Amino acid sequence: MLRFISRRLGMGALILLISSFLMYLLVNVSIRPMEDLEQSTARNKEQLIADRIEQLDLNTNVVIRYFKWLGNFFTGDFGVAWRSSQSVNDQLGSAMISTLQLVSAAAVLAIFLGVAVGIISALRQYTTFDYLITFLSFLLYSLPAFWVAVLLKRWGALRFNDFLRDPALTALAIAGISAALGIVWMLALGGALKRRLINFVGAGTVTALVLFYLQATNWWTSPKIDPVLIAVLGSGVAVATTLLSTGLRNRRSLGTAFSAVALGLALYVPMQYLLYYVQMNWWIITGLALVALASGAGLGRLWGGPDWRQSARTGAITAFGVAALIFLDQVMSYWGQYLAHPTISNRPIATVGDRTPNLVQSVQEADKFWLGTIDQYTHLLLPTVALMLISFASYTRYARSSMLEVLNQDYIRTARAKGLTERTVIMRHGFRNSLIPLATIVPLDIVALFGGAIITEQVFGRPGMGQMFIKSLHNAEIEPIMAYLMVTALLAVLANIIADLIYAALDPRIRVTA
Amino acid sequence: MTIPPPDTNHPAGPVEAGAPADLLAAESQAEELKMRDVEGLSQGQIVRRRFFRHRGAVVAMIVLGAVILLAFTSVGFGNWTGWWKHTPLQTGNVTGTGAQPTLSLPTWLGGDGFVWGDHPFGRDESGRDVFARVMKGTQTSLIVMFIVGIVSTVIGVIVGALAGYFGGRLDRFLMRVTDLVITIPVLVLGAVLGALAAGKNSAFLLAIFLGLASWTTLARLVRGDFLTLREREFVDAARVAGASSRRIIFKHMLPNSIGVIIVNQTLLMSTAILLETALSFVGLGITYPNISLGQLINQYQEAFATRPWLFWWPGLFIVVIALCVNFIGDGLRDAFDPRQRRIPSQRALRRAERKAAARAESAAAADSTVGASGKETT
Amino acid sequence: MTAAHAPVADTPPSEHVLEVKDLTVEFFVDGQWLPAAIDVSYDVKPGEILAIVGESGSGKTQSSMSLVGLLPPNGRARGQALLDGQDLFAMSKGRLRHVRGKDIAVIFQEPMTALNPVYTIGFQIIETIRTHFPMGPKEARERALELLRMVDIPEPERRIDSYPHELSGGQRQRAMIAQALACDPRLLIADEPTTALDVTVQAEILSLMRDLRQRIDSGIILITHDMGVVADMADTVLVMKDGKVVERGPVRQVFYDPQHPYTQRLLASVPHLGRPDTDATEQTDGPAAPATPAATDTSVREPARTSTGSLQAAPIESDLVLSARGIDIVYEGRKKGTDFKAVSGADLDIARGEVVGLVGESGSGKTTVGRAIVGLLPVKTGSLEICGISVVGADAQTTQPLRSKVGIVFQDPGSSLNPRFPIGESIGEPLFLHRGLRGAELSGRVETLLDQVELPKAMRNRYPHELSGGQRQRVGIARALALEPELLVADEPTSALDVSVQAKVLELFRELQREHGFACVFISHDLAVVEMLSDRIAVMHHGKIVEVGTAQQVVSAPKDSYTRRLLAAVPLPNPDLQQERRQERDRLLAEAAKHND
Repeated sequence: MLRFISRRLGMGALILLISSFLMYLLVNVSIRPMEDLEQSTARNKEQLIADRIEQLDLNTNVVIRYFKWLGNFFTGDFGVAWRSSQSVNDQLGSAMISTLQLVSAAAVLAIFLGVAVGIISALRQYTTFDYLITFLSFLLYSLPAFWVAVLLKRWGALRFNDFLRDPALTALAIAGISAALGIVWMLALGGALKRRLINFVGAGTVTALVLFYLQATNWWTSPKIDPVLIAVLGSGVAVATTLLSTGLRNRRSLGTAFSAVALGLALYVPMQYLLYYVQMNWWIITGLALVALASGAGLGRLWGGPDWRQSARTGAITAFGVAALIFLDQVMSYWGQYLAHPTISNRPIATVGDRTPNLVQSVQEADKFWLGTIDQYTHLLLPTVALMLISFASYTRYARSSMLEVLNQDYIRTARAKGLTERTVIMRHGFRNSLIPLATIVPLDIVALFGGAIITEQVFGRPGMGQMFIKSLHNAEIEPIMAYLMVTALLAVLANIIADLIYAALDPRIRVTA
Repeated sequence: MTIPPPDTNHPAGPVEAGAPADLLAAESQAEELKMRDVEGLSQGQIVRRRFFRHRGAVVAMIVLGAVILLAFTSVGFGNWTGWWKHTPLQTGNVTGTGAQPTLSLPTWLGGDGFVWGDHPFGRDESGRDVFARVMKGTQTSLIVMFIVGIVSTVIGVIVGALAGYFGGRLDRFLMRVTDLVITIPVLVLGAVLGALAAGKNSAFLLAIFLGLASWTTLARLVRGDFLTLREREFVDAARVAGASSRRIIFKHMLPNSIGVIIVNQTLLMSTAILLETALSFVGLGITYPNISLGQLINQYQEAFATRPWLFWWPGLFIVVIALCVNFIGDGLRDAFDPRQRRIPSQRALRRAERKAAARAESAAAADSTVGASGKETT
Repeated sequence: MTAAHAPVADTPPSEHVLEVKDLTVEFFVDGQWLPAAIDVSYDVKPGEILAIVGESGSGKTQSSMSLVGLLPPNGRARGQALLDGQDLFAMSKGRLRHVRGKDIAVIFQEPMTALNPVYTIGFQIIETIRTHFPMGPKEARERALELLRMVDIPEPERRIDSYPHELSGGQRQRAMIAQALACDPRLLIADEPTTALDVTVQAEILSLMRDLRQRIDSGIILITHDMGVVADMADTVLVMKDGKVVERGPVRQVFYDPQHPYTQRLLASVPHLGRPDTDATEQTDGPAAPATPAATDTSVREPARTSTGSLQAAPIESDLVLSARGIDIVYEGRKKGTDFKAVSGADLDIARGEVVGLVGESGSGKTTVGRAIVGLLPVKTGSLEICGISVVGADAQTTQPLRSKVGIVFQDPGSSLNPRFPIGESIGEPLFLHRGLRGAELSGRVETLLDQVELPKAMRNRYPHELSGGQRQRVGIARALALEPELLVADEPTSALDVSVQAKVLELFRELQREHGFACVFISHDLAVVEMLSDRIAVMHHGKIVEVGTAQQVVSAPKDSYTRRLLAAVPLPNPDLQQERRQERDRLLAEAAKHND
């Protein structure tokens, strides 16, 4: 195992080295640092050109310049972007955080939604839902990301902000949305005509009720998830988790899930004090999330039984969900303050940058974390959607075909012949095995997302790595370009190794030997 | 020993390795029917026939053909001027609503009756005809798309075939090279190469460069395919017969992986058009005075609030082309997939049941028409 | 209605476990319903083994799968299937799910694909137990261990945590059987349970199943195409053809007095190990074997064999087309030290016009030898002379003439023809490459070849997918004969074919050999087929040739202990002979065990 990792890391380092050399040569040919001077009409043009050549060391052979760059790189110095005379290391630090936020949000959402939709689509092969999803994924594949991004920015954000100024849905709109959602659920769940009708009416009614509730409680301007909603949504999470992981027949598991919800509700009020009086940061939040997971698992252990591990798993997932709801509730309670802030002035959906300048600095210490979080989310919203669409489509396709492939295998027939429930057949024998091929495309897809972030960051003016890359390419600054390329290549190499490890973890037939 | 008389009906198909067992019986039952279906047809003809069964793909092909025709005949190509009266670069005066699109939809589509008009897609702020510009941009994108397809196919096939056929050290070397290229996202590599091409400002050069950046997937697929084909006995048979490596690669193996190649490259072409337009959008692909759809969108995005048509039309053409290519690719995949067995959907089953029932009923009705009509009249 | 789960003790022995009445299975293909099984009726008693026999496409598997509701989505079943009086087809899905695994268990053909590769066999067995019984994990694990012990898996405590890929084929099938027996099913459906296994492993699994049947008292439906297995196992036989039951009866009646012409034909097609005279000598102290069509019809083949002694003499040196001395064949691993020696120190001589059978189980290296002879694998050590050319360490230039003197027929007729070539082109390729034949000359020659393998000339423009398996294999033979080779390697040419097709192809092969007089290495796992065709037989085991001798001598008086075990493992398509064979095998095994002590 260790030998495998070290061997692959060594190989990766070699690839990085060769790649950096080739890219240095390539970038060197691509950029034209003298272009502006060549077209300039300045009287001392000759002098300026000579100065620039001196400054950029252009008389030195490119190979020697590469080795100079490499020497600096090994000491951890990415050099200086000559036009702005900014240190690349400084630029890279903040840019990386911004891009990682965007890419990881998009990747997680795309994987989660894409796989879920793809699996359902596979289970409902050759139905209207399946055809609909297939068409949708083709459409998403065919949409230029930048076009969608511009559309979201110039149209979606404007319209949503306008809506939030006076949030009132007409009865007609509610009916329309409810009917649409009802149809989606009906198609996704399928079944005989009667069941379809029940699903349609049920899903539609629930949607309509929720919308009316939101409307009536003025939720759009002062959103909150009060204990009642936490109880309702938490129970939903509990049932769904139990249903997927062990089946509702497993009473201990179901009990664990519901006691996790109860625990969350009991802790709701104390948590308000904690979150209010303690100055929050992401470390504490992560710690709390871990506590939630642990206590959920602990509940499972307490419920006992021979399969307490399954209960613990269910409990942990449910507890995490409930904790997330409480966290969201807390974030939402700052929404009013956020909207009212002069830099926001009731137009919360941002279209430029990755944070509102001067917002965090102008509020009280205690509110900084929460307002900053909201601000980040509102800035992440549109770029994430724009970035994840293509990824979502490809995960849907992959998950669907992978699941169909698995469902055709002999061992699925064996599982059925053993009398296992359909849930066990699908989740334990189908889904588990269909993850194996999926694991191999995730790293490649994340690399592609990094590429895609270039466009998204450009459109939304997020000061991330992609934008740094494009700007430097236009400015003919080789140092930041190389820094960008090294970081992406490094991530690609790491992602590939991780994929191999996941692959080996998922498939006992694969052994990680060097 | 008594030799049983040859029974021609016997479906003596051996079990294809890897096919799920539960379908085999059904398949061998259907073998006779299938035989009738494919009698005297070459592989190519079968593929073509299956392709034309895919309705989406056929529609997509017609639409794409129409788009290509429209783009190249309207504003012409090279020295030849097309039938459209405006050129992409010719400016004019724009006042008030004069820039509005003159195209209106026929009444059956909810418009005021079909009018083509002087500037069907409107004009931009300098009075240039958007229809002409979009057509020119479409041309560029189509050219780039096809060249990228050709270049990456040639490289990908050669690299993949050599690696897969010869294996060993050559394979390891070629795959390391592929790994090397894969570490850089295509869009990033494209951007660097695009910057290189931007100096010459030629769509051809850009396309060739993009092709150089996007052959890796195909190379891996072809290699994988060749690795399996290499184990197939007909390749051994050719070797025993004394065929040269070149003959085995090009005459025996390549035609058998044509499905993988065509399908993958079709889908690649749809990403190629998105790649080119994206690069042009960030200013690293096609630049002034050449026109690309991505560049048009970038140029006009600020005008979204005032002149939305400037934004919609180029985007629409990108989507239509990419969608058509994707659908054609899907049709090809279905047509080439050897495992393609048309399992009927529940719906098709029910429909067939109904039809059969209706047939039986009408037959029964025909038998008892007299009685039934007699009842009705009473 | 009586309780569905009536304990075995309460059921009178005569009562049927399963009664199937007018079962019809149909598949929806290309817009119409095609029947896979038509009006099938049978019943199974507790402790009875019912064998359903038929060739591919006869509907034997689908008719059984329909009982447990495991038809593919485009299939449907009609009729009645009563399990202890309850109609399986009238049950709700949930009810049927409880029957599956508990009352009716299934053993599938290929345990490698039928077991989930990502879970241990213990997990999969425990899963079955806990689905049907309210049992804790510890208890269930105990039960699983007990089951693994029952099916004789070595080191059950260790094996229970093994993944399927870590077990051998036989062990996997044992695990599969343990899983099937987990809930003491009333009915066991075994779908070709030994087809994917080697013959010695098959014998072990069959003996295990026979042993179990006495212990568990379930009804067993054994689906198979192998008449030997039927003779070995079955009480009652059901012969199916094209979805219909053509014959049904007790095993001896079906074997000795088949009524339906198809059954007669089927039995006649089965190659029968041991020539009539050998049978007679073997049967002296057993019950008199009734005359079977298979036994009496086996044609006596020349060349004449006189006595065992004189035939052992090696063929005369000058007349050899192949002479191998101490050859090693090594598959090179990717790294040093991972090389795999598939064949070591093999000696073999083949005379002009002689047919040598090469027999062995999977992994014995027999195919490797064949591939080395035709030059697909390099031979690094020893000496190998083919048609007077030494090929060890020779370059392509030197071996070039061999390309036209050595031909090969491959195992899988589906894979041995280029799917993109019309078959005429496939047959003509060697002629084009070596003789430079083109146009009319080439097509004339191709047509002659097609004629020789009894295919219509018009077929030359057809593509492989339009041909049946048997036709494809004829094309493969025609291609191999195109250059009139002096030596032909036939690598399991009939093992992918149904038995009646196999008989026809073998007959053709024999005629062609007689006509053209080529020498032949006939590789097969099937001793009966090899015996039928070969002058001499070489037996391979673990990469070594353990015994060479005339066909008669190897079959009737084997010297090597492995050969003896191999012979004893081959089930004879005759119930009484097979019973003896079994006893003989048990004696051999006991002897071997004593020897080991």
